[in-house]
Amino acid sequence: MSNIIEIKNVTKEFKVLNRREGLRGSLKDLFSRDYRIVRAVDNISMSIRQGEIIGYLGPNGAGKSTTIKMMTGILEPTSGEILVGGNVPYKDRTKNAQEIGVVFGQRSQLWWALPLIESFKILKDIYGVSDEDYNSMIALYKSLVDIEPLLHKPVRQMSLGQRTLSDILAAFLHNPKIVFLDEPTIGLDVSMKSRIRTLIHELNQVKNTTVILTTHDMGDVDALCQRIVIIDKGKMLYDNDMEHLKGFFGSYRTLKIRMNGDLKQLAGTIQRELPDFSVSADDEWISILVDEERSKVMEVLNQLQRSYEIRDMQLEEISTEEVIKKIYEEGVQ
Amino acid sequence: MKRKGLGFYLRIYGKILAQDLKSKMSYRADFIISTIGMIFTNIAGFISFWILFQNFPSVGGWSYYEMLFLYGFSLVSLTPVQCFFDNNWSLRMYVYSGDFIKYCFRPINLFFYYQSEVFDIKGLGQLAFGIGTLAYSWSRLGLDFTPLMLLKMIIFLLTASLIMIALQNAAAATCFWIQNSFYVLDLVTRFKDYAKYPITIFSPVFRFIFTFVMPVAFIAYYPSFVILRPDEVPLLSWLSPLIGVLFFWLSYKIWMKGAMSYSGTGS
Repeated sequence: MSNIIEIKNVTKEFKVLNRREGLRGSLKDLFSRDYRIVRAVDNISMSIRQGEIIGYLGPNGAGKSTTIKMMTGILEPTSGEILVGGNVPYKDRTKNAQEIGVVFGQRSQLWWALPLIESFKILKDIYGVSDEDYNSMIALYKSLVDIEPLLHKPVRQMSLGQRTLSDILAAFLHNPKIVFLDEPTIGLDVSMKSRIRTLIHELNQVKNTTVILTTHDMGDVDALCQRIVIIDKGKMLYDNDMEHLKGFFGSYRTLKIRMNGDLKQLAGTIQRELPDFSVSADDEWISILVDEERSKVMEVLNQLQRSYEIRDMQLEEISTEEVIKKIYEEGVQ
Repeated sequence: MKRKGLGFYLRIYGKILAQDLKSKMSYRADFIISTIGMIFTNIAGFISFWILFQNFPSVGGWSYYEMLFLYGFSLVSLTPVQCFFDNNWSLRMYVYSGDFIKYCFRPINLFFYYQSEVFDIKGLGQLAFGIGTLAYSWSRLGLDFTPLMLLKMIIFLLTASLIMIALQNAAAATCFWIQNSFYVLDLVTRFKDYAKYPITIFSPVFRFIFTFVMPVAFIAYYPSFVILRPDEVPLLSWLSPLIGVLFFWLSYKIWMKGAMSYSGTGS
């Protein structure tokens, strides 16, 4: 299998103005400018094969968008090499654009006033898609999602979920080799999230499209990504498959308990009693991430039962959410 | 990949335009109100022009009908910038909010793609008004109507349009470098109002500015010499088509330089 994306020792630096505080500072900035260099992406390398779905993860400001912008040709790397489908994105921006599809979160790229089907027809012309390919793609879409009600609706009148769905369909329309999806499920309800995940998965399977997915939603990662890449502060922290990553945390179990009372408040109290483990709460459960190398789950449970009335409990493997959280906080050893 | 030529772009533009018009027509009230608004704007502009001539028989040696010709000429030549390049007005908002990035991922010319998104139908009312004014002053001035005159007319109207488009492009493109480019764009638009007067009425400083810095004198004044006063055409009039093309090309380059170096806001 050939590599569709090759990234070698890529670094991107920005010159940032050190702004001084207050009005006096702003006036000073006008005359003497004091810059510092910020390294948004620091010596990153990776190879991506045709047909992979990559989860590209990292906390806010980690350098994800900067990397995507370099791969799509919007930004030029300060140093290093990027090849996307054989093109140098920054130099062959137009040629590269022909081979990729991009969905940027909540920013629709469709014609606001036009019905979806008309947008599709214009895109067909822009990308030079043949009638045959176009028709088979529309037929495929019809078999995957219920697009009939959307086709004749102006994008402006769509809900966020419908618009995201439309944008994803538009990005795949010219059968690009790679599709970049930047937080495709942000702000969507549970059922729309799941429809969109299924759609991305199916399109990847049928068309063998490479998908680069950035997200903060671990549900997306669990549903779609075999391989994940994590960056933080511009540096690559991890690049391997999900199972391998969970292997690092093999000794961790999530103990979930249900109690009466304000769970958030109880979680805070329990956290003070168990300083070694991270305790969190949602609407139903209090979750305690237990490292069994330190103490067994049963011991923790016994300790808790002495002071609290536990109504229900569950034991789970460490969730993707917790793995990623631990990595953001502590890094990979 | 095959090169995308003029035919390709015209076809795409035609499709977007047809769809856009269709959707605009569906908002009938909006369409009617904006058309009426445009008609009143033009009538108001004409009334102030008419009042001026009730008080002065001529301006800077130009008679009423010659001035009317200039007025009509500037209206017609401002139509393309109004109709086809109106999206320039929104550019600074797109750039500031980061939404401009959505234009950066298509395999077609970025300038074309951006401008093609908006067609301002109101310009057509202005065009009709301008043509009417031109035809009326033409007959009143007793000008010949020969194919050569018509050709000259078209060439110089195009020239004037190019210059106005160039001014607006360049003004709009400043938003790629400065935060609030509205004032630049607004300034240029205000200056274009001076296009309908012969520049000889201004002081030498403004004459210089309107010719070489903000070349609004090329929008109607210099080109109309060719039609109105064929015996005393200044050299600058003959040069204006060249200057028009040059300015347009320069403004396109500036616009594209800004757009290609655009990298969006953080997400």
